[in-house]
Amino acid sequence: MENSSDQTPVVELRGIKKHFGAVQALRGVDLALMHNEVLGLVGDNAAGKSTLMKVLSGAYIPDGGDIFIEGKRVSFANPMDARRLGIEMVYQDYALANNLDVSSNVFMGREVVRIKLGPLGVMDFAHMEQETKALLERLRIDISSVRLKVERLSGGQRQAVAIARATAFDAKVIIMDEPTAALSVAAIDKVLELVKELKAQGSSIIIISHRLEDIYRVSDRMIVLRQGRKVSDSPVEGDIHEFREKVVAYMIGARDDFAERTTA
Amino acid sequence: MSFASDVRRVLRENIRDYGMFIALFVIVLFFTITTNGLFISPRNIVNLVNQTGYIAVLAVGMTLVIVIRHIDLSVGFLAGFLGAIAAIAMVQWNLPVWVVIPLVLFLGIIAGRITSFMVADLGIPAFVATLAGWLGYRGALQLVTRSTGTIIIPNDDFNAIGNGFIPEFPFGEVIPGMHNLTLFLGIFGIALFVTGELINRVRLQSQNREVQSMEMFIIKLVAVSALIGAITWILAGYRGLSWTAVVILIVVFAYHFMTTRTVLGRRIYAVGGNPEAAELSGISVKRITHVVFGSMGMLTALAGILFASRLQSATTQAGTLFELDAIAASFVGGVSAAGGVGTVAGSLIGALVMTSLTNGMNLMGIDISYQYIVRAIVLAGAVIFDVATRRREQ
Repeated sequence: MENSSDQTPVVELRGIKKHFGAVQALRGVDLALMHNEVLGLVGDNAAGKSTLMKVLSGAYIPDGGDIFIEGKRVSFANPMDARRLGIEMVYQDYALANNLDVSSNVFMGREVVRIKLGPLGVMDFAHMEQETKALLERLRIDISSVRLKVERLSGGQRQAVAIARATAFDAKVIIMDEPTAALSVAAIDKVLELVKELKAQGSSIIIISHRLEDIYRVSDRMIVLRQGRKVSDSPVEGDIHEFREKVVAYMIGARDDFAERTTA
Repeated sequence: MSFASDVRRVLRENIRDYGMFIALFVIVLFFTITTNGLFISPRNIVNLVNQTGYIAVLAVGMTLVIVIRHIDLSVGFLAGFLGAIAAIAMVQWNLPVWVVIPLVLFLGIIAGRITSFMVADLGIPAFVATLAGWLGYRGALQLVTRSTGTIIIPNDDFNAIGNGFIPEFPFGEVIPGMHNLTLFLGIFGIALFVTGELINRVRLQSQNREVQSMEMFIIKLVAVSALIGAITWILAGYRGLSWTAVVILIVVFAYHFMTTRTVLGRRIYAVGGNPEAAELSGISVKRITHVVFGSMGMLTALAGILFASRLQSATTQAGTLFELDAIAASFVGGVSAAGGVGTVAGSLIGALVMTSLTNGMNLMGIDISYQYIVRAIVLAGAVIFDVATRRREQ
């Protein structure tokens, strides 16, 4: 998939450290995401997956380590900084306003105006609705009207809207935190189809999940974290049973590819 | 879309909004019959509108406060206190009206920002912060009126806000016996509404967006035009549009536009629907809280002016229980305590419903104790209806 001009990772984390009081949540984690790659991030509870992604999305400021976007070193003070640099996060609980319609949610915080008057700017509904419609069509998301309130959508549709929103503004990287955790089996299939569709359209994605079969189905590569360290970084291959066995071995500490690098 | 299915769909999707109008219509009809038409006599309609004024203005602000999941209990005595400040400014400081009104509105914004400072910056629950305000402003009101008692306001311009009517055309009457400027404004209002709706419909169609069926559209145009026409006719036959009505119209139109068309309005509802999501989307929940409480403070000042002007005086008890009337009007108007739901137009209707009940029962000579119970039933009924329709939708 990658051509030679894309050899620089779209995002690279080097030696990320983060502690909360006495708890060392991340002990120097490296992570690289290539262009048009889907990277699965797995690990037991408290392995540091969510903390690492919160560092990348600007919600946490790391105690040590560097973040590079397309080779350039960056730092974020808050999630908006990360977002401006093209890092979009999709949250487990969708982070949508259920009282607003689909189009309003896609453009939440980035409303398009017809008349510029600062906060009293008059919104351009037609433009936002058409953009949203085009976006849903492009991603093959089946929602009858962009003017439907989110409270009327199913869980799968809500997650699809949340994912669509993340892709709406030329995101470089889309991070999905447990995108299937709250969904029915049928809805999970749809969301995974959507992830594949995004990859086919050129997106670079990091997906966190405790459902290993989800990771297996959509990811090109997988990183396993254990106790704040990276213990495995390998392509997704083999059949599902082999894959599962291998991942579990890393998760419980039976295998560790990076053991020699650890410092006590 | 066919007419029948359109009617069903419109009713289903807007049952909450229409339910409010239907309730108001039933109440008006009931009192009209029981008072032998006295209720819709021009004099009483004017009275009703002027009584609704300060509650409607408070309810508009309160609706936005409840939309962002807060509450403001301090508005009653704050309105009373600011009304007293207005009276003192005119009587004791000899300031002209055109200085006093902006000054008091500005003080209202300051008071609102003090509340939002406690709520947004210090993280105190709005219920507690504004309960402190309720106590504090009550004390402040008694303090500033202690030496004088009730302050009579001798200023005719100021008192016109709560009691006066808009002037007639300077060139005399075209239609004798009617208030011509009011008639003109009514016709102008209908024309504005109809052309606005037509332009919007054509624009939607040209962009291939959904529109109502032609029949439904015409019914809406005719119904609203008839309503504006009827009110205009009643008012023009008496002394015309009151200044209080003008104030209500300006506030309702400005806030309706702000909430439905502007970025600020959209963000207020986003914060109400899901504050965490709004924050993650780059919307500052703090800033929205400051704006909403600031606007509440300004509208409270306006309500204080309306009330003082109506009584032509500032009293030591002005504003007692206004906050609860405003909150009740907001809930009858369809606001949800869960946040994110409620409209400016709804809060106006809610205020009209609550004032109509008081006014109508007064005309019927019903004992005040029963009046409270009836209003309690209407308030509870409105919220039960709201919850029931909301649940059915999901």
